[in-house]
Amino acid sequence: MSGLFASIIDGVLVGSVYGLAAMGLTLIWGVTDVVNLTHGSAIVAGMFGLYLLTSTGVPPYATLPLILVGGFLVGLLLYWICVHRVIGRPPLMSLLSTFSVNLVLIGLGTAVWGTALFNVPVALPSVSWQRYTFPGTHILAAVLTAAIAGCLYVFLHRTRLGKAIRAVANNRGAAELVGIPTTQVLSLAFGLGVALAGVSGMLIATLFPFTLLSGDAYQLKSFVVIVLGGLGNPTGALLGGIALGLVEGLSTPFMPVSWTLVIEFVLFVIVLIAYPNGLLAPRRA
Amino acid sequence: MSGALLEVTALEAGYGEVQILWGISLAVQPGRLTTVVGANGAGKTTTLRAVVGSIAPWGGRVVFAGEDVTRLSTHAKAARGLVLVPEGRQLFGAMTVEENLEMGAFSKRAVRRYAERLDRVIALFPRLGERRRQKAGTLSGGEQQMLAIARGLMSDPQILIIDELSLGLAPVVVHQLFETLKALKEDGLTILLVEQNVHLAFAVSDHAYVIAEGRVFTEGPPRSLAARPEIRRAYLGL
Repeated sequence: MSGLFASIIDGVLVGSVYGLAAMGLTLIWGVTDVVNLTHGSAIVAGMFGLYLLTSTGVPPYATLPLILVGGFLVGLLLYWICVHRVIGRPPLMSLLSTFSVNLVLIGLGTAVWGTALFNVPVALPSVSWQRYTFPGTHILAAVLTAAIAGCLYVFLHRTRLGKAIRAVANNRGAAELVGIPTTQVLSLAFGLGVALAGVSGMLIATLFPFTLLSGDAYQLKSFVVIVLGGLGNPTGALLGGIALGLVEGLSTPFMPVSWTLVIEFVLFVIVLIAYPNGLLAPRRA
Repeated sequence: MSGALLEVTALEAGYGEVQILWGISLAVQPGRLTTVVGANGAGKTTTLRAVVGSIAPWGGRVVFAGEDVTRLSTHAKAARGLVLVPEGRQLFGAMTVEENLEMGAFSKRAVRRYAERLDRVIALFPRLGERRRQKAGTLSGGEQQMLAIARGLMSDPQILIIDELSLGLAPVVVHQLFETLKALKEDGLTILLVEQNVHLAFAVSDHAYVIAEGRVFTEGPPRSLAARPEIRRAYLGL
């Protein structure tokens, strides 16, 4: 039993980081109506950001603000390269354009770094509580995730610019009518979404080894998470991530790790059929 | 020019392959309430959309406060005080009443004296004050129209363009809204109104345009228009 309890808590800690990744994906979807298939690349870029920066001597957690800012700028660039011209077009066009840019990015990455396994050692004491021991990296990742999610919530609900993002998500035409430069807001939201994906990649890389091709798996997890949490709802995404973490934590003591994805996607299909608007939040933010 | 605040010349526009407007020309004098009436499909809403730039005009010119704004983006026009209250309200339904008003004052020009304008708008529509924290999507139809106008007023308009003020609203509410319009006009606000209720529109406006099949059919002071038999028959049901 104690093993199960520890596994569940650890699942929740790790799941919150999946929630952070999904928050980026769902923010972009909610505001721009684009399913961003460069999401996996952004996660991997965050992982390699951690690897490259720490190898030049930057302390692991000091890379977070750098990756946040870098991810935002890359996101802006991606918006103008592959998203702006397909805004308001049929969904297939944005799927194809972000998918192909994703292929180019992954192709470039594998050309430079290959597909070897990378591991960034992060020395952090683990935390013991009664008979249980949790890795410090897992706890810190969850704490940082909660802090970032909190900041995002405050930004979206308390600041003028954040409210403008929600206004554009809610009704783009009306936003334009009240004087909001919607194109700039779309690019801003895209930049933010990519930055969140990058930071989540960075945090995941402090927990697990990774390769250049890890992005796909985490992108798929993000889809599961946003279906659990409700499309276009960043707060729901965090809860969805925790829910997914719970499922992982519950299943790992009983079956081989290779089954985890199978279980997650069975769940994904069931939720899609039974609750097409998401389990936790039926409304779009 | 003639001192008009908004001057539209030979405006052409449409959707896809279908041309709706075939050269609309109209002028709105400052401080006046100007009405555009016409049958369904005549091109009233399309005219407004082309004026504010929600759809790109195919031809013609829109001059606002002496500046050619034909090709400006909609948000840039709103920031200059050319403000449309669109048909069907188009509120931010998932946001609160107060957030909707705050978004109305998004532009640099409108954010000045925000608190003062908020007080004035709430005084004009006390019901909105009571429902500040409520989601806009949960308001009644009349309250939503009030909020749409209030949001437009928060943009500090030089001209407030209102599309289909009375559409789908109860007569009591419509009456109230027209009283509000009169009050706004007396405060010196320039208003361009598109309205299907021609009786009411004529009663409050200084000048009226009748649009048919994408062209201006006739124009003039409402009283003289209402005296013409063909207009009485087609638009006033007399």
